[in-house]
Amino acid sequence: MKKVYLVCASGIATSSMLRVKIEEFFEEKGIDAMVTQFRIAELSPDRIDADVIVATTSIPPEIEENFHCINGLPFLTGVGEEEAFNQLEEALK
Amino acid sequence: MESILGVIGGFINNIGSTIVLPVILTVVGLILGMKFTKAVRSGLMIAVAFVGIFLTVGLLGENMGTLGNAFAEKTGTGLDVIDIGWPAAAAIAFGTPVGNAIIPIGIIINLVLLVLGLTKTLDIDVWNFWHQAFIGSVVAFITGSVGLGLIAAAVNVVMALFLADWSQPLIEKYFKLPGISFPHLQSAGYMLLAAPFAALLKKVPFLSKMSLNPDTIRKRLGILGEPIFLGLFIGILLAAFAGQDVPGILTTGIDIAAVMVLIPRMVSLLVEGLTPVADAARKFMTKKFPGREFFIGLDSAVLIGSPAVIASGLLMIPVEIGIALLLAPLGNRTLPFIDLADGVFVTAMIAPLVAGDVLLTVIVSGIVMGIGMIFTTLLSPAVTSMVAAAGSVDIPVGYSNFTVMSDAAIPHAYAFYYIFQNPVWVALIISAVLLVGQYILTKKFPMGKKIFKIEEEAK
Repeated sequence: MKKVYLVCASGIATSSMLRVKIEEFFEEKGIDAMVTQFRIAELSPDRIDADVIVATTSIPPEIEENFHCINGLPFLTGVGEEEAFNQLEEALK
Repeated sequence: MESILGVIGGFINNIGSTIVLPVILTVVGLILGMKFTKAVRSGLMIAVAFVGIFLTVGLLGENMGTLGNAFAEKTGTGLDVIDIGWPAAAAIAFGTPVGNAIIPIGIIINLVLLVLGLTKTLDIDVWNFWHQAFIGSVVAFITGSVGLGLIAAAVNVVMALFLADWSQPLIEKYFKLPGISFPHLQSAGYMLLAAPFAALLKKVPFLSKMSLNPDTIRKRLGILGEPIFLGLFIGILLAAFAGQDVPGILTTGIDIAAVMVLIPRMVSLLVEGLTPVADAARKFMTKKFPGREFFIGLDSAVLIGSPAVIASGLLMIPVEIGIALLLAPLGNRTLPFIDLADGVFVTAMIAPLVAGDVLLTVIVSGIVMGIGMIFTTLLSPAVTSMVAAAGSVDIPVGYSNFTVMSDAAIPHAYAFYYIFQNPVWVALIISAVLLVGQYILTKKFPMGKKIFKIEEEAK
């Protein structure tokens, strides 16, 4: 199963908002993926086990360089949301 | 006797909050065009989240209440007021009568201000209306009037929008985030107090020369960024200083780690329940203003990935503890605790004021939180009564055991608590003057343009 990390400042608020939307999207598309929420400060490159990371804030360079990261802002603002969903689907293929 | 009444009152209030808010939000969802089952599911999820949150808040209350007193007594520091942290405070604030009404009120006020052209911010982050509900709730506590609490909350909805407009140009330039602003009091609320200190300290030559590398700090202190470890460390330290025996110390360590992991999990359920309603609100509001240019109001969590913000947020952990101890002789009774994990929300909008200098960010944030700790101490009776009501925690009369560092430290929280102790008309006039003042500041001295200018190449 594919693994998706949702990352925000506290692992509580904005990542939960993403979770609701993204899980709904996965259900619609029949994508089987495990979604986990994290705090940005607890992410460490050697412990990441994800196919894609969606973050509502900027990601430290050592993580951004080594993992597939998607900007989570469109899911919050609704601006460019469709494109972001496409990116996510593409990344999980 | 009074304590028994308090518990009964708390019990009724508790039943109320798990039912009233879900019902209100289901109705709001339906008005905003959500499907019936989806709206009901959202409401139910919120109710379920409340049950979970108040269970864990009860756990926190029972364990922490006596610990704070023992710590204060054994160490002689007098720090007996425990910080319950913002995740619990958010749920408690939403659970009060003011919190039950805040989301529809917030949306309506925002729409009216947009129509009148008084703000450019369209706040789609309805979750963070809890900060305004918190201020309203402390006002309701001191005045005994839910109506005045609602007025104070409404005034602060406007205030947050003005603060978001004020800081928008600076935030856009510093974080390179066009089109959004941050009417999020947990960060924007500190800016007004921080701005003069930031302007002053930037002029001190030797301070700006000592640059700290944010990446090194982040890597070194990273483990403190994990609530489960932070909770364990802090719990063990606290219990040891409070004079518990070894089994007691270990149990307390695990209990605090549990609280720091469990409450956020429960709160994310609340956010999950709220998200479909927030989404419907966003669609409804953006449809009302097609083609209008505005800034979308978001959670300041979006800013926290910036290296300077994370590094200074981590450094705030020891700094806040140090300040609390230093200020104890001056009347501070707040023992920084759960909110130590989220210093990043304090530093998020202070960092751009000092162009991302980590040392200056920590100093300015330290000053703001130092002043803030006096506020958190003064607001502890209000917060304690809210905790008791929410978690059905039996707190002996005369004790003020709890506060919440993130929000009670926001100058506006104490300011409005103080202002509304005056006759109503005086309180209303002062509120109006403060709003006009902030509006003038926003229009005449926009940050990043007139003040706190940033050179284009600076990051």
